[in-house]
Formats: sequence, structure tokens, C-alpha cells
Amino acid sequence: MSMHDAAIIGYAETKIVEKSERDVWGLQAEILDSLLQRTGYEKGEIDGMVMSSSMTGAGNPFWSQATADQLSLELYFCQSIDIGGCSPAAAVVRASLAIDAGLCTTVLCLFADTQASDSGRERPRSIVPEWQQPYGYLGPPAAFGLLSKRYEHQFGLDYTALGKLAVAQRGHAVLNDLACEKLRKPITVEDYLNSRMIADPIRLLDSVMTCDGANGLLVTSKKSAERRGLTRCAVPVGYGECTNYRASESVVDVTETGHLPAGERAFAQAGLNQKDIASFHPYDDFIIAIMMQLEMLGFCKQGQGCDFIKAHDFAHTGDLPLNTGGGQISGGQIGLASGGTNLVEAVRQLFGDGGRRQVGNTANALVTGIGGIPYGRNWMSSAVMILTTDA
Amino acid sequence: MVAINDTLDVRREPPRWRSFSKAFWDATREKRLVLQYDPKSDRYQHFPRACGIATGSAALEWREVSGKGEVFSYTIARRARPPFAGHEPFFIVLVTLDQGVNVMANTVNCSLEEMKIGLRVKPYWAPLSNGTHLLMFQPDR
Repeated sequence: MSMHDAAIIGYAETKIVEKSERDVWGLQAEILDSLLQRTGYEKGEIDGMVMSSSMTGAGNPFWSQATADQLSLELYFCQSIDIGGCSPAAAVVRASLAIDAGLCTTVLCLFADTQASDSGRERPRSIVPEWQQPYGYLGPPAAFGLLSKRYEHQFGLDYTALGKLAVAQRGHAVLNDLACEKLRKPITVEDYLNSRMIADPIRLLDSVMTCDGANGLLVTSKKSAERRGLTRCAVPVGYGECTNYRASESVVDVTETGHLPAGERAFAQAGLNQKDIASFHPYDDFIIAIMMQLEMLGFCKQGQGCDFIKAHDFAHTGDLPLNTGGGQISGGQIGLASGGTNLVEAVRQLFGDGGRRQVGNTANALVTGIGGIPYGRNWMSSAVMILTTDA
Repeated sequence: MVAINDTLDVRREPPRWRSFSKAFWDATREKRLVLQYDPKSDRYQHFPRACGIATGSAALEWREVSGKGEVFSYTIARRARPPFAGHEPFFIVLVTLDQGVNVMANTVNCSLEEMKIGLRVKPYWAPLSNGTHLLMFQPDR
């Protein structure tokens, strides 16, 4: 498996802020500079770049090219990935495959968005204006309201269990200096239950706040990392990606998602099972998405997520540490680059840089992505990546 | 108990259709609901797409249906952007039509007490300024 031959050798992340006063290219430059300083690489050694798309860049159909120009990078592999919150994990895989194919040697994976302060020029071409906007559809909160009601109808929902996840993630944001300051206040399950309804049963504390920020990774081959004497690395040993799960069917069980096939692929490639997972960094646009991923990834059976949550401890000191930086819900969602927040935190933990929130077991980390909201289903793209420190 | 708005006072702009969805909007001028039908798979589909979702076939037909079905799921929108801002709370529902497709819409004449997954519904046509109508649903009592 060629992916195993790649290594993430560095990570970088800006502070997540409510509204950035700095341009998105300025944030990207900070990530580049930070990665070079941390790894000892020189700019001229970077010969590949894979970006996530961004709302700020959405009006520019030449986004990766224009960014490479700003950063003055001479590249032999340059692209941006547009599968929403799956894009950062997908970028690491594309980078690994490009390196393995000999197209390039050292790839900057760059995730930046300033959606809160600069949302780009126009609404993207989509089905929303014709089929959803006429009904006052607010987008993701309405979609997850519909999804949650259906889940509740099929299996029941214990909102105190969902609240437990919100509380655990908030506790981690309090320990994360880079999390959005507005969100770094502890909450209780009562606070969660009493937070105001946005789209029943989605509450304010189920939801993300749109923020600005950037993060990134440097990926090279394991061999070249070894030659440089870089001992800290994270290796993608398993990956699965699914877009438009059960696309050929009109009415599907919306509580079953693309993480089911994507997770099976990732675990099989990695040769690991659920009990082996040392820390869990799922894409968290809404709290219920975390629970549904626990089910689809096989930590528990479909419909039994609430029971699983009640039986486990998701603190960084617990038996299944969850989004140890606070995730997006408690750290802030940096637009379309937000999948990088969970991914970079997983790498930070594997490198042992977690500080006050460092997990005990750094053998591996499970990272996921969620991207795009389809018409009356769950989400368009699902990604699952297993990283290890040694492979 | 919260009173749910029927959103009929909302001033909606008529949506712009695409080349392959125009027949849907044309039929709504006469308050008729038509769905795309793929003869190759013997299946209906909605929203309208450029090809059959099961077959990839571009040879799709339009068939008129009753619009009756049952609520698949619902949410209560408590916050909305203009022109819906100020009209909250209102229902957004997914309705499974009897032909086996899910349709997103608002409801009229439906209280919070009456709304439930599985509720039988029928169409309600809300007029739009260009002569077309917007498909909504009401309880089929």
C-alpha cells in the first residue's frame, strides 16, 4: 500500500478567530512559514501543494494556482480538493499518492478560509435556490434538524448523551489556546439542554460558529523524512472515502452514512479494529454527527450511539479521547478548511505536543471528514483516515 | 404551545429553473405535480436531475402524480434569513410521496400537535408572482 510510504512531518495552525483582520493569503503565509521553521525544510524543497477549497476563494476558479503564485511556490503538483470537510484528509491522501507516483517529493497541504470576514463573491451553483431556498431552509441546521428527527423516530434520542459530547469537547477547547476565545468557557449538560432551539431538535450548542483561520501539514516520503533525521511523523495507514452513498436510491435510511463503507476500508487497510483506536477526531459540524460516526465506524451498533456515549469517557484522559482541541463546535469552524482542525489536532497528539490536553496513548489516531449537505439525506462526502506514529 | 406559521405571507421570489426542470415548474401553473420517471428502472425521482439516478439514462419522462404521501421527517425552523425572517417558527418537512420519492416543503393548516412522522399529507399550492405555484403540503384528514 503506497500510502504507507508517506509521512506527515510537520503541522501548523493559526489562532481561530471570530473575524480575521488578516487576509486569507496572509494566514496561509503564516502556515507556510511555521511549517518551514518547524521542519527545517526550505521553501524551494516544496514541490507540491494540495489545498482545501475555501469560501473566500470560491469566486476564484484558479484558487490553488493563485495561492501558489502568492506564496511563490514552484510546483510539480498543484490542486485544490472540493469535497468540503473531507478535503483536508483527502489532501493528505492525494499528496501521498502523488509522492508515490514520483510526481513530487514534498507537499504542502494547506487549509485556510476566512468565510466569516470574507465569504467570497457569490453563492455557489447548487440546487438550493430552486428546491430549498423557497422553503426558508437555513442550510445545515435545517438539514440536521430533519436528520435528527428521523433518527429519533427510528431509535430514540437521549439528549443528555449528546450533551455529554458537547461538554467533553468544550472542556478541551478551554485547554486549547488556539480555539476561538468566545467559546473557551466551560459548559454543563444543563447548558446544552437549555440552549435555544435553532431547527428542532438542533440547539445552539449542537452547532458550529463560522470563524476564520488556517492550518496545514507538510507531507513527504518516509524515506526522505528518515534521511533528514525527522523522527516525529504521522503515517496514513488506512483511508476510506465515499461520496453520495446510495446515490441511486430515492429514499434511503438517512441514519446510515458513507462512513460505513469508508470506515470498513480504512480499518481493513490499517489492520486495526475499533478497540485499538487511541484517540478519535471526528468531523463535528453538529453533535449528532459525532454519535452517528461512532455507529457507522463500528464502535457500536446503529441506533445504539447514546448508550455507547453514556458508557465511555471522552476527555483527553478518558478511554476514548474525543476532539482534544475542542473540535469545531467548541473551537470554531474555519469555513471549508475546518476538516483541517480535527486532522491537525490528531497529528499534534501523535507528535506528543498536546500539552495540557495530551492523550496518554499516541499509537494512532482516527480522523474523519464530512462534506456537503445533500437534499434530504445526511451528507455528501464521508472520509475516514487512520494515522499511526510508526508503520 | 407554540403556534406554527404557514409562511403564506412570505414574499418568495419565483425560483429560476434549469433546462431539465422547466417541465416541473410549467405544470405548477395548473397546480399539477409532475415527477421525473425513468422507464429503464421503473422509478420516480425528485428533485429533477439531468439523468436517471439509477441508470444514468437521459431518456426521462414526466408523469403526473397525486402528490399524496406521508411525513418522512420534519424540523421547526426557529431562525431564518429574509424573506422568512420574522415568520418563524415554521415547519420544513420531508414528505415521502406514494411514488417513493422525498420532497422538501413547508406546511399549511398543520399544528404542532398534529405534526408527526408518518402523518398523511396532500399538496397545497402557494401562488408565485410569475404564475407558477410552490408545492407545499397540508394534512390529508
